[in-house]
Amino acid sequence: MNILTIALRNARKKWVRTSLLLLVFSLGVVSIVALSFVSRVVGEGLEKKLVSFGANILVSPKSEKLTVSYGGFALGDMLFDVTYLDEAATEAKINAIALRKNISVIAPKLVVLDRVAGVPAAIVGVRFDREKLLKGYWTVAQGDFPTKPEGLLVGSAAAAKLGLKLGDAVPLAVAGGGSAGSQLVVQGILAPTGSEDDNVLLGDLGYLQRVTHRPSKVNFVEVAALCSACPIDDIVSQLGTVLPDTEIKTLRGIVQQRMVSVLFVKKLILSVSLVILLTGCSMVGISMLSAVNERKKEIGILRSLGFSRRSVFAIFSAEAAAVGLLAGLVGYVAGYFVSFRILAVLELESTAPLPFEPLHLVATALVLALLTSLASLFPAWKAASIEPSEALVTL
Amino acid sequence: MSTDAILLQALDITKSFSQDGTPAQALKGVSLGVAAGEFVSLVGRSGSGKSTFVSVLSTLLKPDSGQLLYNGQDLALAGEAEIDAIRHRDFAVIFQFHYLLPYLTALENTLLPFMRGLRPVTRVQKARAFECLERVGLADKAQRLPGQLSGGEQQRVAIARALVKDARVLFADEPTGSLDSATGATVMELLAGIRGDGLSVVMVTHNEEYARLADRVVRMEDGLVV
Repeated sequence: MNILTIALRNARKKWVRTSLLLLVFSLGVVSIVALSFVSRVVGEGLEKKLVSFGANILVSPKSEKLTVSYGGFALGDMLFDVTYLDEAATEAKINAIALRKNISVIAPKLVVLDRVAGVPAAIVGVRFDREKLLKGYWTVAQGDFPTKPEGLLVGSAAAAKLGLKLGDAVPLAVAGGGSAGSQLVVQGILAPTGSEDDNVLLGDLGYLQRVTHRPSKVNFVEVAALCSACPIDDIVSQLGTVLPDTEIKTLRGIVQQRMVSVLFVKKLILSVSLVILLTGCSMVGISMLSAVNERKKEIGILRSLGFSRRSVFAIFSAEAAAVGLLAGLVGYVAGYFVSFRILAVLELESTAPLPFEPLHLVATALVLALLTSLASLFPAWKAASIEPSEALVTL
Repeated sequence: MSTDAILLQALDITKSFSQDGTPAQALKGVSLGVAAGEFVSLVGRSGSGKSTFVSVLSTLLKPDSGQLLYNGQDLALAGEAEIDAIRHRDFAVIFQFHYLLPYLTALENTLLPFMRGLRPVTRVQKARAFECLERVGLADKAQRLPGQLSGGEQQRVAIARALVKDARVLFADEPTGSLDSATGATVMELLAGIRGDGLSVVMVTHNEEYARLADRVVRMEDGLVV
């Protein structure tokens, strides 16, 4: 038994008022927690979907390049020196950054220039399994994704220009760095994508590295980062630290578009949560204020027994904090389970995992206890200001 | 009675209130000394200022002027924390109405003075509270809520609460005012018995018979001691 007994016993005695307050506040917390969980899952799901629309970070070797144009007529880039990245080492370094969990796909590429039927063409070596994740918009119009190392996936425009059909063999010219006699076979033709992929031939990266005698070499690495959990600049900064001799570019347009989508959902949830919290806190404040007026005599008794103003203030604050703490605990747990139900209704339950985090539970309960205490500041101050004579003395 | 023995002394206390915008002087310069262990009864008609005076003496009400000395210390110069401490440690008040907290048991109400902070009530304090309830004849009803007790029993719990902390001065403002004569007599027997503890008692009463139980009877009329 101590000063908290007084606060808790009164809350129990006035169980209807306490229960209503607890119910309303818990419902508020349930809404906030469920909205937060659902928004997180929706945000992550949205991010994953957006990733399939391409990479947002480009890692390439530093090179001496001069872009030549005159009178608005582009003459192309003049490369003084072509350098490569080591695929394994680059990937290992990317995997080592602190924000690795925010990177969903690492897609290395090797570009080989070749001539097909006398027409210059670019063959891009890719890891198909990763490329498919990165380019969810790809549809194979004819054939399938290459299954053999020498298999080729041809862009729609390239297939038309070069007259390539399924099963056609594409010899790899020695000029392009190919071993004598090596050739690629068209296994699939992409449907038009409206991107650069329409104009190129895509082959297996490992096979191209081998036949062009560029083992483990890549020209650049595309990275798809999830931007909802951290600013993209942090990821770029960490990549810059581990890969000092590379150029790292963010494709800002893509990043900003993703961030806008995710941030919109977050801002919406935050606004709704603030309104709910404000309403709940106002209710606590009003309820405590009426309790102070009801309990004037009680305050007088306590003051006559030598309870200080601070002690009286503490009793009312503790009562409010207890409501907040309990509402936080009940609301968080209920909100967690309610979010599963909402996600099931939205058919989003498999989008992203929803781990139960005990630390969040404790933090939520503590934050709510603090908020309800703040909401009861004025009533508690009013209670502490009551003079014992005002409450008890009959003159 | 020597001045040294005086525990609580009021000197020329005045107190005014505003009634419907008209100032009314409840105390017009009242002086009184209470010695350690002395039982003083304040008697007088309604409106004579005796309740106001006992509220000033018990520090529940601030006087407009005059001096209130406790143990030689001028309480007008003491800070609020110091007065709270004196009220907590040395003073006990019994009102006409029991003023128990309805959601605490008789035992917990008795222990209330020890529940000021976060430090839990000790076993010794609990034993002391139980002893006080035993003294007022309510040991068997220690776990009952005030609503489950009669008016007289509730007032006896209030007396137990006043006794529990070994205060030096007990102020009783019409302690039998809301009780029937038989219950009132029981309560007065208890208060009279307390004298033996060395406790000073200042009791306000209308009842001349009860007043005579005190060492000294002080009459008040129209805000003055007569």
